[in-house]
Amino acid sequence: MKKKALALGVSLLLMTSMLLSVSGCGQKTATTTTTEKKADSIVLGVATSLGQFDAAGSLKAAQLAVDEINASGGVDVGGTKRPFEIVSIDTRDAEPSIPVTDALAAIEKQILEKKPAAMVVGVLRSEVLLSAMDMIAKYKLPYMVSIAMTPDFEKKVESDPKYKYMFRVGLSSPYLVGNLADNLSTIGKKFNYNKVYFVNQDVAWAKGTNDGLEKWAKANGWTVVGHDAYPTGASDFSSTLNKAKLGGAQLIVPVFDMPESANLVKQASAMKVPALFTGFISSAASESSWKTFGGDINGLVNFLFENASLPVKALPKSIPFNEAYGKKFGEAERTKITGHGGGPSYDSIYILAEAIKKAGSLDADKLVTALEQTDMDGMIGHLKFNKNHQIIYGSDPKTSAVSIAFQWVDGKRVPVYPAAIAEGEIVLPAIK
Amino acid sequence: MVTNFLIYGLVNSAILMLSAIGFSLTFGLSGVANFAHGAMYLTAGFIAWMLINYLGLSPLVAMLLTVVLMGILGALIYRIILMPVRGIVLSEVISTFALGVALIEFFRWKGFTSFDFSLPPFVKGSIEIFGVTIDYQRLIIIGIALIIALFLWYFTHYTNTGLALRGMAQDEYTALSIGIESDWAAMLSLGLGAALASVAAVAILPLGIISINLGYEIFLIALAVSVLGGLESTLGLFVGSLILGYAMVIASTYLGPQWGQVVYLGAIVIVLAIKPSGLFGKYKELEERV
Repeated sequence: MKKKALALGVSLLLMTSMLLSVSGCGQKTATTTTTEKKADSIVLGVATSLGQFDAAGSLKAAQLAVDEINASGGVDVGGTKRPFEIVSIDTRDAEPSIPVTDALAAIEKQILEKKPAAMVVGVLRSEVLLSAMDMIAKYKLPYMVSIAMTPDFEKKVESDPKYKYMFRVGLSSPYLVGNLADNLSTIGKKFNYNKVYFVNQDVAWAKGTNDGLEKWAKANGWTVVGHDAYPTGASDFSSTLNKAKLGGAQLIVPVFDMPESANLVKQASAMKVPALFTGFISSAASESSWKTFGGDINGLVNFLFENASLPVKALPKSIPFNEAYGKKFGEAERTKITGHGGGPSYDSIYILAEAIKKAGSLDADKLVTALEQTDMDGMIGHLKFNKNHQIIYGSDPKTSAVSIAFQWVDGKRVPVYPAAIAEGEIVLPAIK
Repeated sequence: MVTNFLIYGLVNSAILMLSAIGFSLTFGLSGVANFAHGAMYLTAGFIAWMLINYLGLSPLVAMLLTVVLMGILGALIYRIILMPVRGIVLSEVISTFALGVALIEFFRWKGFTSFDFSLPPFVKGSIEIFGVTIDYQRLIIIGIALIIALFLWYFTHYTNTGLALRGMAQDEYTALSIGIESDWAAMLSLGLGAALASVAAVAILPLGIISINLGYEIFLIALAVSVLGGLESTLGLFVGSLILGYAMVIASTYLGPQWGQVVYLGAIVIVLAIKPSGLFGKYKELEERV
């Protein structure tokens, strides 16, 4: 009997993900995040993995932009000022074992029930984004992506006019690879380094990024000591760190967006791995992460895919943004702003407002034409879409959006990359 | 490289053993398969975090208090949730399973999903052993795992309470006939199991952060170790942890980190298919022969 009960229990556990996804995506209905619903409001849909910190922060950043625009009278639609209103639904696509179909069901539920004029932030996982594009194209809704980074987004937009409603304000993997490679090259020259170890989360965007970077490294004279991929949720990185240490890796390039990922640097500090970490660890991007990891992330050079969390002089809008965010959501919440999604989500709202004003209507096709003509300064730099509806990223915020890197130095985040925004130079951390 | 394997394999084995010991003990002593074990581990982590960060208690006091509170919570769970269905094994499993999912999802719902939750290590710093650097916290984990294993072996073999609990596990009716009260024994074993889950949590969680999905992961690990070693066997728990601990380190190093998880999930399926009683599950082996 006990054996049967045990078998039943195991089966129940294996079925949990399915049950949870049903409860998460089906029954956990859309939450209106604005406090007051107005009859003439322009509804913006946010369907994303709200339990994930990048996505949750993105929703807050978008809400802040909406509040700012509403406070100034609203959006000009053909001469009439109308307020924005955000509605949100949890797709849970960041969680392990949540099938793509369940996330899509949540998006469709929001479209059908809330009838948004456009969608912002977008889903978290690239796998979900690629499938969602087909569904959203069917409804002809302008869709502003802030988080998912797959290069296939652009290929898809290019492949068929039906995807013309999709725009990505967030960084894409190819840009990230370019920035990481450039940063690697700078560090290699500065410290005479040539041995690198790649480690990433086993998801499409992170794999794509580090695979691309590995190719670049091999072609540029670097010795690749190893390359490991960890499943989402993994928290023990000792096998990678041992191999990196024994192989004499001078640089370790992590690319992760899961909360457990800063354990890698924490463990490396405990194991005295004498390598510089430079890459993307989402959980070590915010101001509060220094306290969380007890200073064990000292020396980490971490990328903010798009800046929102760090007030940087060369990105002037990031300073009032942080002040306003702290006032609206509290100082504790401000210190939790991450390095991905928040900036483009905030800017997406202003891009949309500008496009609506230019189009003079909420007609999707007119909006697409107006969005394609975007040419304005945002928090993440200068905003302009390329022909495949991807915001152009570069190294100068005056001419393009920028992805920036900072280094943790004794509890402070010092902007170090690109040169146009740097407020300090990369230093090698002391191994204690 | 070999020294690395030996040391980090041992650390991994100790982590697995600590993670599983509460589950194995509860099942071995009361026959209750506590499917809320992972949720207990997670709850203990969050309670300790809140005691430190909200009440300002010192980490040591907070961790000790957490173990006590979790022990009481485990006993209460038996009194409130399990006692009404005691003896109906299927209902026991469903009750603990539902409780576990409810606890884990409660934390997710309340927003415990950010990366702000971590516990401080007992001692910071590291030491070099045979050329391998290892931090004190991992060494402490090995020590705690050994002490607990020895304590449990002594407790269940040489104390009246432990012997009474074992008697109840072997034959409930005979134990009742000599005055051992079934509900008291089961409540104690649930309380002990929850307290051990919290010992594991406060020892292991300082290595990283408290993340919601650990609730599911820890339970699967506990299940794999217990199923491999034999559900009611302390020796089985010890050997099962060593086998899985080293297998995971070898798989992670040579095949890739993603294979580390495959090892323990695969172990559950293979052992249940080939030898359901596990390596040292003597009572169940007899049952199977019958």
